[in-house]
Amino acid sequence: MSGSLDSYLVLSGLLFAIGTFGFLARRNAISMLMSIELMLNAVNLTVVAFGAFVPALKTHAAVIALLVIAVAAAEATVGLALVMAIYRNRKTPLVDEYDSMSE
Amino acid sequence: MTYLIPLIPLLPLAGFVVTGLLGRQMGRESHQIAVWAVAASWAVAMVVAFAALAHGFGIGDGAGITLWNWIPALGFKAEMGFYVDALTGCLLIVVTTIGMLVHIYSIGYMAHDPGKWRFFAYLNLFMFSMLLLVLADNFLLVFAGWELVGLCSYLLIGFWYPRRSAAVAAKKAFLVNRIGDMGFALAIMAIWTQLGTLNMQAVFKLVEGGGLSSTWIAVVALLLFCGAVGKSAQFPLHVWLPDAMEGPTPVSALIHAATMVNAGVYLVARCNPIFGAAPGVMVVVAAIGIFTAVLAASIAFTQTDIKRVLAYSTISQLGYMFAALGVGAWTAAIFHLMSHGFFKGLLFLGSGSVIHAVGDEQDMRKMGGLARKIPITYVTMLIGSVAIAGVPPLAGFFSKDEILGGAFKSGFLWVWAIGFVVAGMTAFYMFRLMGMTFWGPSHVDPEVEQHIHESPTTMTRPLILLAIPAAALGLLIGFPPESGLLHQWLAPVFEATIAAGGRTEAAYSFFGIDGGLAIVTTGLVAIAIIAAWRLFGVDMPAIGLHAEPRPDQVREVSARRGLDFLYRGSAAKWWFDDLNNLLFVVWGGRLAGAVWWFDRVVIDGTVNGVGTVTTQAGLRLRRVQTGHVQNYALGIAIGLIAMALGYFLIAVR
Repeated sequence: MSGSLDSYLVLSGLLFAIGTFGFLARRNAISMLMSIELMLNAVNLTVVAFGAFVPALKTHAAVIALLVIAVAAAEATVGLALVMAIYRNRKTPLVDEYDSMSE
Repeated sequence: MTYLIPLIPLLPLAGFVVTGLLGRQMGRESHQIAVWAVAASWAVAMVVAFAALAHGFGIGDGAGITLWNWIPALGFKAEMGFYVDALTGCLLIVVTTIGMLVHIYSIGYMAHDPGKWRFFAYLNLFMFSMLLLVLADNFLLVFAGWELVGLCSYLLIGFWYPRRSAAVAAKKAFLVNRIGDMGFALAIMAIWTQLGTLNMQAVFKLVEGGGLSSTWIAVVALLLFCGAVGKSAQFPLHVWLPDAMEGPTPVSALIHAATMVNAGVYLVARCNPIFGAAPGVMVVVAAIGIFTAVLAASIAFTQTDIKRVLAYSTISQLGYMFAALGVGAWTAAIFHLMSHGFFKGLLFLGSGSVIHAVGDEQDMRKMGGLARKIPITYVTMLIGSVAIAGVPPLAGFFSKDEILGGAFKSGFLWVWAIGFVVAGMTAFYMFRLMGMTFWGPSHVDPEVEQHIHESPTTMTRPLILLAIPAAALGLLIGFPPESGLLHQWLAPVFEATIAAGGRTEAAYSFFGIDGGLAIVTTGLVAIAIIAAWRLFGVDMPAIGLHAEPRPDQVREVSARRGLDFLYRGSAAKWWFDDLNNLLFVVWGGRLAGAVWWFDRVVIDGTVNGVGTVTTQAGLRLRRVQTGHVQNYALGIAIGLIAMALGYFLIAVR
C-alpha cells in the first residue's frame, strides 16, 4: 500500500481532520495555531504526493509546496504575534474568554 | 403709456407689504398707507383705462408690456406681462373705483377693530391680486391672480376668526372655490398641451385661425367655465357666497359683490374667441346662468338677514351676466357687470351702515322705520334698490334691458322668459328689503334705538359717491341703447367673435321689438314694486300709495298646499346646504373614515409589520454572534462540509 497515491491521500485527510478538530475543539490559542499548521501540512502533503505520482505536475507541486511553507511561516509569525498581544491584554490564552465582540 | 401699467398692481402690493409688516406699530393710523396706495393706483388706473377706452394714447385696441420671463423652462414659457384693452379698461374702472371707496369706507367701519392693520393689509393684497388677474396677459398669471383673490377672500371672510361661523364660512368658500379652480387649472394644461403657448392673445389668434379642433375648444371652454362657475358662485357652486357674508361688510361689498365674483364673468368675456367657437358650451353657460338667476332670486324672497338677501341678489345678478355671455350679448354682460358693481357695492356698503347703526344687528325683522334716523344711508340705498330693480333711467334698467333684449333677439326665448320673471322677482325682494329695513313700524330693540345714529362721513361719502354711478352710469355709457359709449369702447374686443358667430342682430329699434320689451319689463318691475310696497311699505297718501302690511295674510297664503312647499324651499335655500352636507360631510366623511381605516390598518400595518419583523429577527439572530472565534470557525467548517457534500451529490454522480 505504501507505493500508492491513495495511502498518502488518506494520511493527509486524517492529518487535516485532526487539524480541523484541534482548531475547533482546543481552547488554547497556541494549540489552535498548531492545528492550523497541521492542516497546512496536510495540504502540503497532498500537493507533494500528487507531484510525486503525476509526472506532469512534478515542478508545479514543488513550487506550490514551497509557497505554502512560506505562507505558513508568515501566518505562524503573525498569528503568534497576535496571540502574544491578546495574551498581554487579557492575561489568558483561552479563546472562549475573548468575548468582547459578543452582545 | 404701457409703462404705467405695472404701477397699477404694484402700488397696492407695496401698500400690502408696508402695512403688513409695520401696521401693528402704526396703531390707529395703520390705514393711511393702504388707502393712499390704492388711491394712487386708482389715479394711474383711470389714466390707463381711459386711454384704453379711447383706443389711443399708445394703447389702441390693446397693448401689452412684458416685464420679465417669469417661468423659463425647457420649452415652457410664462411671462410676467400685462395686457390692456377696452375690456381691461372697464374692469379697471370698476375694481379700482369701488376698491378705493371701500378702503375709505373701511376707515370708519373698522375704526375700533384691533385688527385694523391686518384688515387693510389684506384689502391691499386683494387689490393687487384682482388687478393682477385683470391685467395679466397669459393664463398662468391670470391663474396666479385667481388663486390670490381666493386666498384674500378666505382671509377676509375669516377675518373675525375667533367666531366659529366665520372660520367655517372661510373654509367653505375656499374649498368650494377649489373645485372650480381645478377646472381652470385643467383648462390651462389643455391649452398648453394643445397649443404650446399660454399667452392669451396668441391663444386667441390660434383658436381663430383654426389651430384647435372643435372638440378641444369645447373641452377648454367647459373647463374655463367650470373655473368661472366657482369664482362667480354659479349653480351648483353658489353655496359659498351667502356664507361669505360672515366677513366684515366692506369685504362683502368689495370682494363678494362688486369685484372678485366678477372674475368669472371677466374670464368668459376675455376668452370670447374660445367660447364663441363652442356654441354648445355657450348654451350651457346661458342655461346655468339663467337657472342660477331664478334660483338665487327665489331664495332671496324669504331670507331675513339683510346681507344674505343681498348675497343671493348678487348670485342672481351674476347669473344674468352669464346668461348674457351665453346668448352672445358680450357687451351687455360687461355693462351689467359694471352697473352691478356700482349699485351692489353701494347696497352692501349701505347695509353695513345700517348694521353699524343698529348695533351689529343683521336680522331685518329687528329693523324697520330707519328711514328718518339714517337719511343718507336710506336715500343712497333707495337709489341702489331702484337701480338694481331696473327702473328707468337708472343703471340697472339699461344693462338688464340689454341682456333681456339680447336674449330675445338672438333666439334664446327661454332665457328671455326666465330673465323677465327674474326682473320682477329682483324688484320685489329688493323692495321687501327696503320695506323691512327702512319703512313701517320699528322693531328695533328699544335700548339700541336710542343710539341709532348716522355713520361717520368716511362711511357716508363713499355711499354718495357710489350712488352717482349707480344712478347715472346707464345714461352715461349705455345710452342710446346698443350704440352708447360702452358699445363703442368694447366693439373691437368682441367684433371678431360676433362676426364669426355669423349672427347679425337687428339694430335697436325703440318703436319696435326693443321698446316693446323694455315697456313690458318695466311694467312687470312696477307691479313687483307695488306688490312689495303693499306688503312692506308705509302709507303715502300724497302720491296715492297705500300700504297694508299683513304678515298674517302672507303667512296664510304661503301656508297653502303647494305654496308652502315653495315657501319652505326658498327659506331652506332649496336644501342645497343640506344636500352638500349629506353628500360630502356625512357620506364623504364615511368614505374618508373607511379610507382612514384602510390607511391605518393595511398601509400602516404593512409598514410597521416590516419594521417589527426586522427588529424581532434581529433580536433573535443576534444570539448567533457569540464573539467566540471557534463558533465562527465551526460555521465555516460546516459550510465547507455542506458545500463538499453538495458537490458530490450534484456534480459527481
